[in-house]
Amino acid sequence: MRVKICMGSNCTLLGAMSLLDQIEGLKEVFDEDNERYNDEELEIEAVSCMNYCKKTDATIAPVVAIDDEVIFNATGQIVMEKIMGKKKK
Amino acid sequence: MKESYVDLINIRRKVFALIAKMAHEGTDLNELERASYELIPGEIATYRESVFRERAIIEERLRLTMGLDARHMNEYTRVTDGINEMDVNESRFTSPLVNVITFACEACPSRAFNVTDNCRKCLAHPCTNVCPVNAVSIGKNRAIIDNDKCIKCGKCMEACPYSAIVEYHRPCAFVCGVDAIESDYLGRAKINEEKCVACGRCVTQCPFGAIADKSQIYQLVKALKTKKNMYAMVAPSFIGQFGVLASPIQIFEGIKQLGFKDVVEVSLGADITTLHEAKEFINRVPDEIPFMGTSCCNSWTLMVKKLFPEQYEYISDSSSPMVETAKYIKQKDPDAIITFIGPCISKKLEALREEVKDYVHFVITFEELMGMIVAYNIELSEIEIDREIQDASTLGRGYAIAGGVAEAVKETAQLLDPSREINIESASNLNDCVKLMRMAKAGKKDGMLLEGMACPGGCIAGPGTLASINRVKKAIIEFKNKSSYKTPLDNDIIDDELKH
Repeated sequence: MRVKICMGSNCTLLGAMSLLDQIEGLKEVFDEDNERYNDEELEIEAVSCMNYCKKTDATIAPVVAIDDEVIFNATGQIVMEKIMGKKKK
Repeated sequence: MKESYVDLINIRRKVFALIAKMAHEGTDLNELERASYELIPGEIATYRESVFRERAIIEERLRLTMGLDARHMNEYTRVTDGINEMDVNESRFTSPLVNVITFACEACPSRAFNVTDNCRKCLAHPCTNVCPVNAVSIGKNRAIIDNDKCIKCGKCMEACPYSAIVEYHRPCAFVCGVDAIESDYLGRAKINEEKCVACGRCVTQCPFGAIADKSQIYQLVKALKTKKNMYAMVAPSFIGQFGVLASPIQIFEGIKQLGFKDVVEVSLGADITTLHEAKEFINRVPDEIPFMGTSCCNSWTLMVKKLFPEQYEYISDSSSPMVETAKYIKQKDPDAIITFIGPCISKKLEALREEVKDYVHFVITFEELMGMIVAYNIELSEIEIDREIQDASTLGRGYAIAGGVAEAVKETAQLLDPSREINIESASNLNDCVKLMRMAKAGKKDGMLLEGMACPGGCIAGPGTLASINRVKKAIIEFKNKSSYKTPLDNDIIDDELKH
């Protein structure tokens, strides 16, 4: 599973680094109880502006992509639940 | 910053970006009357019970960010009242810096011990047995604490085998190290200006976002558009604050793109402060003064001034790194207009001091700077530049992390006078700072160098930061080891005169 966190200015202003901290923190959760989770590797990547917000007037930052799924107005709650769901055996 | 307060942080920062954008685009300030509709669209409340209250609160944030006072809700005032005086290109600061938005405050009760559902009304009931004032009794469903009798010793909480008793704090008052949070007639937080040292902890810790400081970003952007000799200086904790992909030099270049002529590391001023303090320590302790306190944290020095006036003279006379850096810039360009960018809101007050005001003209936080970067549509990590920043030594760059100041002064003093043995002690939250000063007052810290920092962990934990402490700490350690100079004595930029 590949998780990309947008580090564009808008996303950084609205908490992208905090999301990155939270997602990186999940690795510890997986290590603590590896019986419960599958072997799929969690690849986390901070990427430069993905330009989604430049194409719209709506507020969509922060943006996170989990594999092919792009999440607008990403929160730790939503993103972590999706990742945990994908890691479940 | 409290990272998990996501919604509050975002509201605060959206306001910074909006005000910076208005200044940048020259928007008519009467538009502020409708800005709350842009920030809180629709008619369904997201954060509080009604959209009207959400908008009213954000309007106070808009006013404070413009540098205006919060309004009194018992009289008719428009959002834009007083705005013309703020539509200028120089800083217009009126105290108080830290403000309670009264109608955002939920009037949390003060500290108490409460019994929760965990209580099983057990036969042993140690909670009643250990209470020294007989305030705990067993009620119908659970133990009951009589708050009139309770002396808040916490013995019942410690004794309970089910963790059924919890200590409840009013978050703003709990984090205030100088007891400056009082209550108004409705039980809402009220800041005692006499006691407050503007550390900003209550601003970041209130879970209802009811406390905010004033900003100068509007006036700064106006100055950047109309004045030429604008210089920025960036506090040592800037590393890693603006997204994990933005390198230190990209941050510097991004700041220049806002209209600054040049950018300097405040760590350079830290090197100068270190040299002053090292010499001062060698010369004055213990003959003239029994111990010496560092001078760089404004909230710490303010606290000493207010609570320990007789010991205030034991705080180093040296100027802070902010002021030393500004003096360095002024020396090179006497017409310089200088902006300090840092993690700290207390510096906004330090800049008003009589001996500082001609050197430091604007003070903004990293959060406020990020709002400007968004308003200007700058992408830091995409700026093409490859250069090293070499303004300061490894020790100077270490000022941002608790313990770093004393460490720098100690190492430098021992290089200047190898015969001296120097003992240091550091405190890095206001509560501990007060305790440290109490011990020092009682003569228990004689001969020592005392470092006081108001933020827990040092400047990297300041209220105006964006990144988590651990992330920034790692980045700073990497950056400081890249310096060509190990100590201030090696720093070529600094006059040799200072080094003896």
